[in-house]
Amino acid sequence: MLGKGVVGGGGGTKAPKPSFVSYVRPEEIHTNEKEVTEKEATLHLLPGEQLLCEASTVLKYVQEDSCQRGVYGRLVCTDFKIAFLGDDESALDNYETQFKNKVIGENDITLHCVDQIYGVFDEKKKTLFGQLKKYPEKLIIHCKDLRVFHFCLRYTKEEEVKRIVSGIIHHTQSPKLLKRLFLFSYAQNNTVKKLEKEKLASTQKEIRNSCSSVLGTVPELFSLRLPAYFVVPTPLPEEDVKRFQGHGIPIWCWSCHNGSALLKMSALPKEQDDGILQIQKSFLDGIYKTIHRPPYEIVKTEDLSSNFLSLQEIQTAYCKFKQLFLIDNSTEFWDTDIKWFSLLESSSWLDIIRRCLKKAIEITESLEAQNMNVLLLEENASDLCCLLSSLVQVMMDPHCRTRTGFQSLVQKEWVMGGHCFLDRCNHLRQNDKEEVPVFLLFLDCVWQLVHQHTPAFEFTETYLTVLSDSLYIPIFSTFFFNSPHQKDTNMGRESLDTQSKPLNLLTVWDWSVQFEPKAQTLLRNPLYAEKPKPDKGPRKGMRFKHQRQLSLPLTQSKSSPKRGFFREETDHLIKNLLGKRISKLINSSDELQDSFREFYDSWHSKPTDYHGLLLPHIEGPEIRVWAQRYLRWIPEAQILGGGRMAVMSRLLEMMEEVQDLQEKINERHPSQAALHAETRHAEASCLLRNSARLSSLFPFALLQRHSSKPVLPTSGWKALEDEEDLAKREDDFVDLGDV
Amino acid sequence: MPEPRSGQLGSLASSLASGCLPGEQILAWAPGLRKGLEPELPGILICTNFRVTFQPCGWQRSQDTPLSSEYDFSLVNIERLEAMSGLARVQLHPGSQLKFIPEEILIHGRDFRLLRIGFEAGGLEPQAFQVTMAIVQARAQSNETQQYGGIALSKAGQGSGFRKPPIPLLETLEDWEMELKKQGAKGWRVSTVNERFDVATSLPRYFWVPSRILDSEVRRTFGHFRQGRGPRLSWHHPGGSDLLRCGGFYNASDPNKEDIRAVESMLQAGHSDVVLVDTMDELPGLADVQLAHLKLRALCLPDSSVAEDKWLSALEGTRWLDYVRACLRKASDVSVLVTSRVRSVVLQERGDRDLNGLLSSLVQLLLAPEARTLFGFQSVVQREWVAAGHPFLTRFGGTGASEEAPVFLLFLDCVWQLLQQFPAEFEFSEFFLLALHDSVRVPDTLTFLRNTPWERGKQSRQFNSYTQVYTPENSQSPDGNCINVQLSVWDWDLRYSNEQILQFHNPGYDPEHCPESWFPRQPNFMVPGPPSSMWLFSRGALTPLHQLCPWRDSPSLLAVPSRWLSRPATSSESLADQEWGLPSHWGACPLPPGLLLPGYLGPQIRLWKRCYLRGRPEVQMGLSALTISGLREELACLQELLRKWTPRVFPQDRCEKRDPNTFFSQSQ
Repeated sequence: MLGKGVVGGGGGTKAPKPSFVSYVRPEEIHTNEKEVTEKEATLHLLPGEQLLCEASTVLKYVQEDSCQRGVYGRLVCTDFKIAFLGDDESALDNYETQFKNKVIGENDITLHCVDQIYGVFDEKKKTLFGQLKKYPEKLIIHCKDLRVFHFCLRYTKEEEVKRIVSGIIHHTQSPKLLKRLFLFSYAQNNTVKKLEKEKLASTQKEIRNSCSSVLGTVPELFSLRLPAYFVVPTPLPEEDVKRFQGHGIPIWCWSCHNGSALLKMSALPKEQDDGILQIQKSFLDGIYKTIHRPPYEIVKTEDLSSNFLSLQEIQTAYCKFKQLFLIDNSTEFWDTDIKWFSLLESSSWLDIIRRCLKKAIEITESLEAQNMNVLLLEENASDLCCLLSSLVQVMMDPHCRTRTGFQSLVQKEWVMGGHCFLDRCNHLRQNDKEEVPVFLLFLDCVWQLVHQHTPAFEFTETYLTVLSDSLYIPIFSTFFFNSPHQKDTNMGRESLDTQSKPLNLLTVWDWSVQFEPKAQTLLRNPLYAEKPKPDKGPRKGMRFKHQRQLSLPLTQSKSSPKRGFFREETDHLIKNLLGKRISKLINSSDELQDSFREFYDSWHSKPTDYHGLLLPHIEGPEIRVWAQRYLRWIPEAQILGGGRMAVMSRLLEMMEEVQDLQEKINERHPSQAALHAETRHAEASCLLRNSARLSSLFPFALLQRHSSKPVLPTSGWKALEDEEDLAKREDDFVDLGDV
Repeated sequence: MPEPRSGQLGSLASSLASGCLPGEQILAWAPGLRKGLEPELPGILICTNFRVTFQPCGWQRSQDTPLSSEYDFSLVNIERLEAMSGLARVQLHPGSQLKFIPEEILIHGRDFRLLRIGFEAGGLEPQAFQVTMAIVQARAQSNETQQYGGIALSKAGQGSGFRKPPIPLLETLEDWEMELKKQGAKGWRVSTVNERFDVATSLPRYFWVPSRILDSEVRRTFGHFRQGRGPRLSWHHPGGSDLLRCGGFYNASDPNKEDIRAVESMLQAGHSDVVLVDTMDELPGLADVQLAHLKLRALCLPDSSVAEDKWLSALEGTRWLDYVRACLRKASDVSVLVTSRVRSVVLQERGDRDLNGLLSSLVQLLLAPEARTLFGFQSVVQREWVAAGHPFLTRFGGTGASEEAPVFLLFLDCVWQLLQQFPAEFEFSEFFLLALHDSVRVPDTLTFLRNTPWERGKQSRQFNSYTQVYTPENSQSPDGNCINVQLSVWDWDLRYSNEQILQFHNPGYDPEHCPESWFPRQPNFMVPGPPSSMWLFSRGALTPLHQLCPWRDSPSLLAVPSRWLSRPATSSESLADQEWGLPSHWGACPLPPGLLLPGYLGPQIRLWKRCYLRGRPEVQMGLSALTISGLREELACLQELLRKWTPRVFPQDRCEKRDPNTFFSQSQ
């Protein structure tokens, strides 16, 4: 129990008002202090990481309902993270440490992960920013991964408080220059890891190999947003592409097996000048003429910036939604708990998810059932375009549901597609208004699919959760640039000056940086229904698939009656693009609604093919809260021995047994071996087996397991009991709990 | 019955009669098409005096399962009948007249099922009309006379004359003795004082009382409780605690000193620490449950008008999940009370027939791994609900509108919540719970169709005589063999095929989680003299009591109904709360093995979609569950293969050892 102070053992119950009072008397602190410093863990610094400031004798509260207990330690702030160094963590069980993140410890907060900082002054909670006149006695940090930390500074020396609080505030909240990101100093100093070949190269090659016969590529760097290579329709003249810096040209995203393609296009800049408008109009006319020639004759346009979600909506909804999970104290939690469903609904986050899924189904329907090409149109084609095109691909292409497939999807559509991760995550703290969790929204949409159709995905929800956390770890280059162009210029890739050391960048996809191999098994879905391979010859079914998808029908195969209808639509679109907004676009018409409904219903009434088209349920009861991500730090939400983990461990065990038996059979009857050639990964099971009862929050909230509170408040009982033997028996009984 | 028109239909019609139960008459039938599920299924819609059945073409009612869980709708189960023709849509109440020939009829079940039958054109419209009207009339009649009170099932009569009930029905002394022995409750005995139902008709014939208490005392003391339902043992915790249940104190009675002492020592049950749990406190009343269930049913109708984005608040508005949560929370509290020290915990509810059953069964599920097996769970339901006299008939609206409240369904929902929170801890699956859920209105057995064991016993006698294996009431032959052919709901093969019954098993169940025993069983302490500490558990807090019974000191206390002692405002609240409040209090100290503490936060309580949203077209069968069972089948198949090849070398398989009773043997 060293280093742990039990404060105010008999505090109030679910007290009506939140209490931040600590009952520790200074004397108690001083007696503990020596031991604390001796036992304290050492600070592990990453290559290039520098210690900026620190404070000792900080009390980190263990978040619990009534009594305020805590652990003493040192609070430090580096240029990478805020870390609390409490007592050493040898107390952890073995199996739990195996799942620890190697980069971010449980008491570490990367600077980019900090969401809000509050200070408590005389029991009043205030947001902290800028220069402070007065320093708080308690610091509350809300993290973007929804952890909440409470640090009591009452027993810390004043100058240390000043230094640490202003240090933390400065380094997490003041605007930063891109070059100042920890990413760069890490990359310069990290010599251990060898340079990771990024997947993008292969992605590009893949695209080029498979598409060049049909579509053209523009190998020219001309836009700040676009990647170096992308695919445009062949008939499009090269100079058109360059004319508006990449705006106003359709870019190929993906082709469906029947040949219909998903395209995206960023809107032309809005101009007041009539002359320019005329030029834009004729340019667009030209573009539409091009893409309305065979084989692109029917194109349906989805204007995402005018009649779909706005980024503002997403931002507001998420802000409300996350408040439901950022819990300062249990009292508050229980208060909101009663109204859980209505609070959830009023945040409308789930509704936004539903709308995204619905839109993706609509697009899928156009591609799949109506054989139409779909053009997504958005201001920069880098937010909802990314979201929808990748959602559509997850739903339509089984390859995107594998780990490698999903990874290259994110690389292709988001990283290379120019999603502004830097702005949307507000990594540089330059503009809070730009901070919109679009990528998180995408992950949440994918989670709904994973949850509803588990066997169709090779990855688990843990994979998605861990991926969402990696957004804020500035040692990976993946999510720290606004565009591939920005990355290239800042990494000095094209300028070959050798005076600086080569930057050693890591990608998020290298999971071994964060997790031990054993922990990585949690990212793989043991229930994944792998596609039965037809024969052993071509091992890569993927390439084969792409060829098939890209065989565009060059003949007139599409039904002609619909043609006039969609012609009309593009007229609408052009008007729309030129600023004359027409609120009711074609896709709100009844006909499309009906065909959507029909498509949706007929798909769901058939048995699911996990290797084919996959549609989510979007009815009210079916859209759910991503409990693993949002509830994982809340101790009250812990179910010991329950939750999905319980089934998972059982599953892994069974898989191992199957594998075992198959091996035995193969040994005895080698002829049978061919039949059962497909043995699956079951090496993970031994990990989970030794732990009798895992918490439902596993593998995330290791935190709660430490809290040791007297199970029975024996003092209170003894006072009320008169018989001595009774008291003795009671003590016996308490011990039994530990057996 | 109309003449069949074509040869094909004729052969269908003749097969109808063969599927009938004794006493069942076909009132009308018509060929139809089941809609709403892909693919549409052609077949015949039949209305009999017991049920409405849809028989798909080519489907033969198996002799072994005279009832079908999939295609049967018992008349009482029909909540709403609608007929549609073109755009006209009419709801048909019992006694109403149909003014057009229906193109389609919709039967909404009270169990959330939906049957949509479309009638083909082509000269058969009169039949469609007839069958619809027949359903309307049959419903009216079945509402008037409770005539479905037990169908003598041909199988029972003809088949093996002796049919052992799948679980002990607790109608004989042996069952009770055996059960008591199994629980290891040393200080308890079976009392036969109610053998003739003269202490209380709602009580079972036998029950458990402390060994020291004489039957005469039992008789006297029970009179001081409402409906004669005095304190009885519900479950003995292997750690030594006892869980008791009883009705409210009967305030009007004026017991003498000796009676009070007897009451007290029955409540005390030999423990020095007694906690009275006010069951009704913080739990919904009967009317609340009924209202919530009605609202839930309305919300879950396939054509419910609630917008998708308002669904969650509508769900909250039903309060059903709130009640589920309250039950889980209380059960969790009580199970902590039972485990944390050796004591007697007495559940006290005014009537002792509703929430007491719910709470005590939930507590057993949380505490006892045995109760989480298929066998154990059925035994718990049989003991705490059926034998304990839960008025099933009244609660499911069998005897009129008042006092209808699906408490049992609330219980099943709670169990489902546990199941999905602890997916590896239960031997039974969601499908089993669904089957049980659907069984409450199926008129095949008496289990859920009587209010008390007494009524059930009366009926069972007629029942037996009807099937000509009549045996007198106390039919224990000297060797202890009981020849009782009464069928119970637990005879699942009446309604479910073997494949379906296989689905009752949870493939994710991990029997290794089921420890052989708790910690070393402790001898029962028999403390002479009055209990040294007495508590009232109410509002999540323990309050000290000065006396267990309300009668002793001043007569003025008699006026106070159930909470006879005003609670001190602040005294021990925090203390109790700390001890029993939240699961996180267990902290680093591992939970005692076997104990489950359920989560009852808003986000953790979920809607039982596969039950309540069954009528909706979009709801489909389980996804991952099937995969797990697939995996398990693969496992079984491989083991089988291996065993065949190496008959002697290969030892008894590990998996088989763990799970000897069911899975593999049934699948062959």
